[in-house]
Amino acid sequence: MRILRFVVRRLLQLVPVLLGVVVLAFLLVRVLPGDPVRSILGQNATEEDAAAARARFGLDQSLWHQFLDYLGGLLTGDFGTSIQSGGSVGSEMALRVGPTLELVVISVTFALVVATVLGIWSAKRANRAGDHSIRIFALVGNSVPEFWLGLVLVLVGYSILGWFPAPNGRVDPDTGLTPLTGADLVDAVLTANGPATASAAAYLVLPVLTLVVGVVAPLLRSVRASALEVLHSESYAAAKAHGLRDRTLHHGYLLRATLVRLPSLAALVFGTAIGSTVLVEYVFSWQGFGQWALRGLLYRDYPVVQASVLVIALCYVLVFLIADVVHAILDPRVRL
Amino acid sequence: MTVLSIENLSVTIRRPGRQVAALSGVSFAVRPGEVVGLVGESGGGKSMVARAVVGLLPGGSHATGRVRLGDSDVLRMDDAALAAHRGRGVAICFQNPRGALSPTRTIGKQLVDRLATHQDMSGDRAREAARELFETVGIRSAQRRLDAYAHELSGGMAQRVMISLATGCAPELLIADEPTTGLDVTLTREILRQFRHAADTDGRGVLLISHDLASIAEVCDRVVVLYAGTVVESGPAAQVLREPAHPYTRALLRSVPDVGGRPVVATPGAMPLLTQEPDNCPFVARCAHADRTCSTRRPPTAPVPGGGEWSLACFHPQTRPLDAGTPPPPAAEEKGAETGANPKPAVLEVEDAHVVYRSRFGSGGHHALRGVTLRLAPGETLGVVGESGCGKSTLAKLVMGLVAPTSGTVTVAGRALVGQPGRPRPRGRALRRARTRAQLVFQDPIGSLSPRRTVGDSIAEPLRAAGLSPAQREERVTAVLDRMELDRSILKRYPHELSGGQAQRVGIARALVGEPDLIVFDEPTSALDVTVQAQILDVIADVAADADRASVFISHDLATVRGFADRVVVLYLGRVVEEGPVDVVFDTPRHPYTRALLGSAPRLGPTTGSDGEAVELVKDLEEADAATGCPLAARCPFATGRCRTEQQELQSYGESRAACWRVPELPALIGRQAVTP
Repeated sequence: MRILRFVVRRLLQLVPVLLGVVVLAFLLVRVLPGDPVRSILGQNATEEDAAAARARFGLDQSLWHQFLDYLGGLLTGDFGTSIQSGGSVGSEMALRVGPTLELVVISVTFALVVATVLGIWSAKRANRAGDHSIRIFALVGNSVPEFWLGLVLVLVGYSILGWFPAPNGRVDPDTGLTPLTGADLVDAVLTANGPATASAAAYLVLPVLTLVVGVVAPLLRSVRASALEVLHSESYAAAKAHGLRDRTLHHGYLLRATLVRLPSLAALVFGTAIGSTVLVEYVFSWQGFGQWALRGLLYRDYPVVQASVLVIALCYVLVFLIADVVHAILDPRVRL
Repeated sequence: MTVLSIENLSVTIRRPGRQVAALSGVSFAVRPGEVVGLVGESGGGKSMVARAVVGLLPGGSHATGRVRLGDSDVLRMDDAALAAHRGRGVAICFQNPRGALSPTRTIGKQLVDRLATHQDMSGDRAREAARELFETVGIRSAQRRLDAYAHELSGGMAQRVMISLATGCAPELLIADEPTTGLDVTLTREILRQFRHAADTDGRGVLLISHDLASIAEVCDRVVVLYAGTVVESGPAAQVLREPAHPYTRALLRSVPDVGGRPVVATPGAMPLLTQEPDNCPFVARCAHADRTCSTRRPPTAPVPGGGEWSLACFHPQTRPLDAGTPPPPAAEEKGAETGANPKPAVLEVEDAHVVYRSRFGSGGHHALRGVTLRLAPGETLGVVGESGCGKSTLAKLVMGLVAPTSGTVTVAGRALVGQPGRPRPRGRALRRARTRAQLVFQDPIGSLSPRRTVGDSIAEPLRAAGLSPAQREERVTAVLDRMELDRSILKRYPHELSGGQAQRVGIARALVGEPDLIVFDEPTSALDVTVQAQILDVIADVAADADRASVFISHDLATVRGFADRVVVLYLGRVVEEGPVDVVFDTPRHPYTRALLGSAPRLGPTTGSDGEAVELVKDLEEADAATGCPLAARCPFATGRCRTEQQELQSYGESRAACWRVPELPALIGRQAVTP
């Protein structure tokens, strides 16, 4: 009950935060040097052509007017029209958020599980060979640039071994998948399309692996550190001195106490992972949100940049909200 | 038949670069149904014995000898046998119960885990058994408490849970490592009674580890005194505690302040850190009776002639009664007369002060002080006593200007230190100057010094704030160091390099260096070992005797207050329930609460008949509710309808004042209670 009230309060706080993000994104993108109109017109366009194009996108109006127009559109769910493609930003984005979220959510979830299992395993064998090798492995994975790792994985997984499909999309087009949410694996499962499910899963393996290797290191370190802290804590020593079985010790006294501090770090890592997708999507031709947002930024496509900043901000706030709730559930000392 | 028998146990800890002989040839035994006290200063090896018995010796340690439990030797057990032995054979109650309870698992589940592991219970049966165990250790509304977490418990409650966890393993031997540290007198008594109960009803052996001889004296059958890893004396509690023969035991006992008013005798020096088994008497450097034999040969442990199980390791056993040879108490009368003769302007005046800690949202809050009135003249020392949670620390903060009174006024040396209702709020330089007039000495001596500043910096800080030049600062700092009997070399050191006693001397030096008009001591000795405590009490008594300065001494340990306070105030749930000259209040207590406190206070030696009229309180403090009427009504065995409805004001009874209308009838009532318990 208390948690529900906390969630509602935080969701209400979301409104001013997003409003601030809208204003900042709107102003900052216009401060950037570069002109979106010039970038679509080509080299031979005259001043008149440019003025006409500006008028078409409403860019000749005063800043105030533009902002109020944009805000009014947002309230009705209209994110504006892309200057580059001329299409609706809302519908373009809808196509691209799904695949990226699928990629990031699966990767971060997977990374959390791996980090928890390996982190605790590692802490129990602190300063022995297994512990050291896991930590070195995590450190190396963290230091390797994602695009390079992606390329290596493609080289090995596709070119040499041939186990995984080519990095040319998210699902085999021949499986006849009907898109619903844009997240192909989810769609395939929802439409009970067996071949598409298998194909989407196969396509996911390499990009997910790339992202997981990239983000698992900080999570692993954190889990290992807090597991060590719990293992050396008085309460764990007390439980051990009372002769509890290893299983009971592990489930009742180690696991939850260790995971207490993970959610807030996981939320941060989630944010980093969204950023990392830009390059990973390029390598795997994922046609996702990151690629789309980056192109919008390069061409100063104002509505696209504003919409993507807004969505990323929303993701951050929601993920941190989830993290806080999970933290409160895990740690009875936390008061919401 | 013994539960535990330790034979010639030696533990050496080898770490790179150093070696410590933690235990050297320790032998003793615990029988079923017997409570054995293991006493001595910290560093004496008490906890090492406990660790050896549960097979949890620290890394790098090497143990020889035997630790027999039943017919197996703990030191020679493999991992599987150890796992079975822990809990089932021996269960430990840890010193800091709140730290030893898992923070993320309900206490009910933690107990059920133990029952499931050691008594093969499961599901509802285990939960039911857990509830019953909680009830036997005195946890009320046990059913509800099963789902509580460790952080929701008070210190006393947490220690009860810890005891229930340990007994839940159904061990043959229960070890309690300093189970009452940080608890106040009434709780200490109650917790120790639980261990006696475990020995009496379940026939378990109990090994009670403590540095505080006085408090465990009542419940122990036998006592083993450890010094520097060796057993110096052991035997029946009554004999060892009343007529100790070993000079160390005597020193230990004489360091313990007594509510009876017996003066504390401090023993100089500190325990040596042995690197190998000693070949002389380890106490030789601190012993007044030592001669050449003591420093060349190690005294063998030998039974005292005619003493039954009583044995000791000393070439010069002492037989005189403990108090002989101690100087007579300093003439406190003189000082009292002097302060009475010429009344000076008060240093501290507290007028009907209330403090309410508001909760963050909405109304309500915690009423920490309810109408306290105090007046303190220069040269006077006021003792403030009461259980934890009675508002002692709030009173300290109020006097120091660290909390503002919700109503009422507080004046230190004629000035207000904090915004008060109806008075201008002090600010800026005037406030800073006013604040130098009152200083605080904290409970945790090391924690109250900044870890990143040298001792010299910490001591000089109040002077820097007052704007003194470096030369003046140095002069004042060296003067105060000399007074605290500290070496100059300490100025360059950092707090973690200090012992507890040194750190508390530094804390007192810091408070003293600005020559304040008022010093507040907030439980300054409760974190220290008994012998160190005696040394620090000496220092404090000296400081408190300064004629131009007033002191407030806050403590839950009544005996420490008796030593040097002129007047004493007994606080209960934010109210003053009794006040008066210290000897009057302690010798002829009026209020039932004061009687109960004094009755729970540990006493060494024979309890005299005049003190037999102690009052037993009915419940714990946390269950008492002071909504209307007398705050003690819920716990007082003599409460009537009038007590529950009518607020009690302080009334004069002889030299002291007490807030209870039944005072004249109490002696008769107490007599009746004793007859029909």
